[in-house]
Amino acid sequence: MYREMREAVVQGDAPRARRLAEGVVDADGDLVAAIEQGFAAGIRKVGDLWEEGEYFLPELVQGAEAMKAAMGVLQPALRKSHGGQVSKGRVVIGTVQGDLHDIGKTLVATLLSAGGFEVDDLGSDVSVDRFLARAKENGADIIAASALLTTTMPVQKAIADGIPSLGLAPRPRLLVGGAPTTAAWAAQIGAAWAENALRAVAVAESLANASRRA
Amino acid sequence: MNAFAERLRRRETTLLDGGLGSLLIARGLGGGEAPESWVLSRPDDVRRAHGDYVGAGSDAVHTATFGANAIRLARSSLADRCEALNAEAVRLARESGARFVLADVGPTGEYLPPVGTGDRRSWKEAFVRQGRALAAAAPDALHVETMTDLREALIALEALKESASSLPVMVSLTFERKKRGFFTIMGDALAGSLRSLGEAGADAVGANCTLASADMRLLAEESRAAVGLPLVIQPNAGAPEMQGGAVFYSQAPEAFAEEMARVASLGVELVGGCCGTDPRFIRALARRLHSKESRP
Repeated sequence: MYREMREAVVQGDAPRARRLAEGVVDADGDLVAAIEQGFAAGIRKVGDLWEEGEYFLPELVQGAEAMKAAMGVLQPALRKSHGGQVSKGRVVIGTVQGDLHDIGKTLVATLLSAGGFEVDDLGSDVSVDRFLARAKENGADIIAASALLTTTMPVQKAIADGIPSLGLAPRPRLLVGGAPTTAAWAAQIGAAWAENALRAVAVAESLANASRRA
Repeated sequence: MNAFAERLRRRETTLLDGGLGSLLIARGLGGGEAPESWVLSRPDDVRRAHGDYVGAGSDAVHTATFGANAIRLARSSLADRCEALNAEAVRLARESGARFVLADVGPTGEYLPPVGTGDRRSWKEAFVRQGRALAAAAPDALHVETMTDLREALIALEALKESASSLPVMVSLTFERKKRGFFTIMGDALAGSLRSLGEAGADAVGANCTLASADMRLLAEESRAAVGLPLVIQPNAGAPEMQGGAVFYSQAPEAFAEEMARVASLGVELVGGCCGTDPRFIRALARRLHSKESRP
């Protein structure tokens, strides 16, 4: 059964992923195992295939959609059985002001929500003030800011500079990404960095854990 | 056949220009501003930027119309200025004294399902409209570039063949280097893509953006082996880096010129630069190309 779940995600088959998830819930099965050994293993496989150059953007998006379809069924069930405490953290995400690219950002948002985060997607062309205001309103653990242009990368720094003014330290942590960004750039502005959408989930998890411990 | 088409036919090496956006940024273009908006608001700066390339040795310059299709212009509320903007941009490039003016046609910025919600029919309409506007201003050729989806490139090509039928159309895709070779982000493989474009009537095909000159040289070798059409290659100046809040590209003009002279010697007819390259890069490449020509 877990193999079928993996396959549904690897093949980007959202209706099948949803049906399999419903099957687990109806049979009162192990929800966590279905996620970990089934659907999440599938999305990791999609990531591997992408790194190998076997999969491209369309397959990545379809895999993420299948994952999201399954999680749409599993998350409410998990919430019921765990008394509402299943979120890995709250994320406010967007593409920075002046930048209209939102495929990568939307993919990250989908994967984060599939990965158990509560995600508030502000879309593209998002001002520094909007990122900060929404993060404060939501008590966000993470602000995730995407920039696809070298000309809009400085907005990521402006967000980093603005976070202390919220007075919520050590939260929210800043996660940056986008084609022109690098680990060095992130270090320079005091942010975490993910080189692609799949890595972003793992980085977000470690940031959320760190901010909870702090 | 116009003079540029004749030049393509003779397989003469043509030195193109480099990045335009970065020159406009140096002149004060803001982070969120569309470069093409300057065609109407700061025409002198656009003309001078072209002129800098002409001075550096570019045989041909690209118009500031990368984002001047109605779909993309709508994002900066300029869609109703589509015709005026495209015509004016050709005029500015012409006034720079460039020998050839290549009308630049960039992507819509939308994607087809499942990645996005783009629609082929509205894309075609947008490219036909831009093609008509450009053709009316009489550039020497059209250049569809920075396309990351072969399907969009083919739609643009078809639209321009209809709307600007007397002009040569060149098409460049943007490839990434993956473990199995060069592919667009949508998974279009290099050789097959270039052949499809040739079969669809492109007068020259090639690649621009994302890759730096060393990877582009490998791509050029594979491209030359794959198609007999004239090739156009325009790499970035390395990878972008940030320093003190400003973007810079790490590659030195001489290193770029050395690689690109080798690209030209592979039999690539049209060579130039993309993001991060400026007139210094073109001047360095011009020196190398000319010294080669003067050799016996």
